[in-house]
Amino acid sequence: MVENARSLNIVAGLILIVGMVYILGPLYLTLTTATQSYEFVLRGGLAWYPGDQFFNNAMRIFTETRIPIQMLNSGIVAFGDALATCVLSFLSAYVLVFFRIRWAGFAFAAILATIMLPLDIRVITTYQVASNVLSPINALFDVTGLNGLIANAFGAPVRLEWSVLNTHLGLIAPLVAHGTGTFLFRQFFRTLPADLVKAARMDGAGALRFLVDILLPLSRSNFAALFVLTFLGGWTQYLWPLVASSTPNMQTAVVGLARLLPDSDGAVPDFPMIMAGAIVVSSVPLLMIALLQRYLVRGLVLSEK
Amino acid sequence: MSFAPQALFTNRWLPILLVAPMALLIVIFFYVPIFQAFYWSFFLERPFGGGSLFVGWANFARVLSDPKFWESLQKTLIFMVVGSSLAVLIPLILAVAADRQIRLSYPARNVLVWPKAVAGASIGVVFAFIFNPFVGILAPLNQMFPGLWNPGIDGGDAFVMLIAAHVWGGIPFNFVILLAGLQSIPRTLHQAGAMDGAGPWRRIFDVQLPLVMPQVFLTLVLEFTESVTSAFALVDTMTQGGPGGATSLLVYKIYVDGFNGYDLSGAATQTAALMVFVIILTAGQFVFLGRRINYER
Repeated sequence: MVENARSLNIVAGLILIVGMVYILGPLYLTLTTATQSYEFVLRGGLAWYPGDQFFNNAMRIFTETRIPIQMLNSGIVAFGDALATCVLSFLSAYVLVFFRIRWAGFAFAAILATIMLPLDIRVITTYQVASNVLSPINALFDVTGLNGLIANAFGAPVRLEWSVLNTHLGLIAPLVAHGTGTFLFRQFFRTLPADLVKAARMDGAGALRFLVDILLPLSRSNFAALFVLTFLGGWTQYLWPLVASSTPNMQTAVVGLARLLPDSDGAVPDFPMIMAGAIVVSSVPLLMIALLQRYLVRGLVLSEK
Repeated sequence: MSFAPQALFTNRWLPILLVAPMALLIVIFFYVPIFQAFYWSFFLERPFGGGSLFVGWANFARVLSDPKFWESLQKTLIFMVVGSSLAVLIPLILAVAADRQIRLSYPARNVLVWPKAVAGASIGVVFAFIFNPFVGILAPLNQMFPGLWNPGIDGGDAFVMLIAAHVWGGIPFNFVILLAGLQSIPRTLHQAGAMDGAGPWRRIFDVQLPLVMPQVFLTLVLEFTESVTSAFALVDTMTQGGPGGATSLLVYKIYVDGFNGYDLSGAATQTAALMVFVIILTAGQFVFLGRRINYER
């Protein structure tokens, strides 16, 4: 601080308090409501202080709903998304930065474009592609006239079918098709000194050896940052898991939680149980943020550069 | 900056092999769906299978002459502008406050990141409860003035509720980015400003804000696309597009038309329109705002 500005510090303190109340208020009410009984909420409305029913409500989440198995799905989706994103982004960024290739600029632009049109916007046709991943090949055969030849020779055109809907693979794959990770690694690689590669080559390291023995250890904290960021993103996805999973046992926990809200207005829903569900569902990412905050903040800042 | 040629590897097949998995995923799940949205908007599709019929611009004519589409687009635009402005402005004020390095800065920096862990749909579930007209935080007010607050009936109330939830969820990312921007401003600039007689309030407006503009611009651009999509989880859990279509944002309407109404051509046509809309808005931001940003330090 340059000089002592008391008035400003007081205002800044007040602003931060208001900000924290805005963030913590809903979380606190979630917590207190989850510890009350349904009758309490019906009678008294909001619960400003904690009660003793949390164990009961949480038990009902674990016994009466499918949230436990859906948590497992969320875990698989978030972990798969984070792992695949880290590995594939690392590899593609490595190619874009360290190889002499003419199409590097084009490939980078094509990957980066994915940031502009998120999955939620193109969900209708992505669903259609996921219902038959091989449909582009069918279309290619049709357009090139190859299918006409095949139909003449063998009596039927080629129609390949492979639906990834309602599978973990189908829940994960469209989430991975995103450019942020590649962008993050590329920005990091470009800050490395060029002499690093020269020295490695002088010592006789080939492209793969350089990748495994030099680049990988250097990127450790970037891996952690991207992993945390993508894991949280995968866990909190809503629209894609909602449409891509057709059975409750395949849905993710966030979708399952939203299904607990009754569709029609009128009767007051069982808020204590739903709030307990919200806490259970958010506990994994919250724990992750608490433990790995350093990496999350690093990831957020890196994804901006 | 790029490396000198002798610092690069040359290999014919290895780069293609390494980039292939990512490229394949992006082609299948990004470019093919986008192509298909535009392709379908010229065809009449039977729901999920069956044939298709080329109809030229008929789909666009049908969608663009539907007043519901324009109403939904207008709602989307209002949500984008109001929601993302607030979702940048509030974190900006918080970041300027946290940058003062007072004792509260440390807990604030930690707490303000927490919403990142709460999914949009979970936020919706929680806020739907807090703003419930019968048991929520405004229920006492409702007893004093009946009908003052009811997002289930009043479209304006429902919209306010959506924006409050959207801003809540948007704080972490924007706060972290803006705070990082503020902290990278060299200390000497503050000192130089103070030497020239600028007080601390004055320096906020003449030193800090102009220098953090690149980050403000970036968060605004990202927030615009983000608000189009984060809206879905909130609308689906809090209002289901109601009351009376007051919160039926385009991304929600597309979902309802496509998956509940089986109007695939209509949904694809609206998807195509929404994509063009987002691209135009993003380009517009770069043309009108981006040029005025000074990146020099």
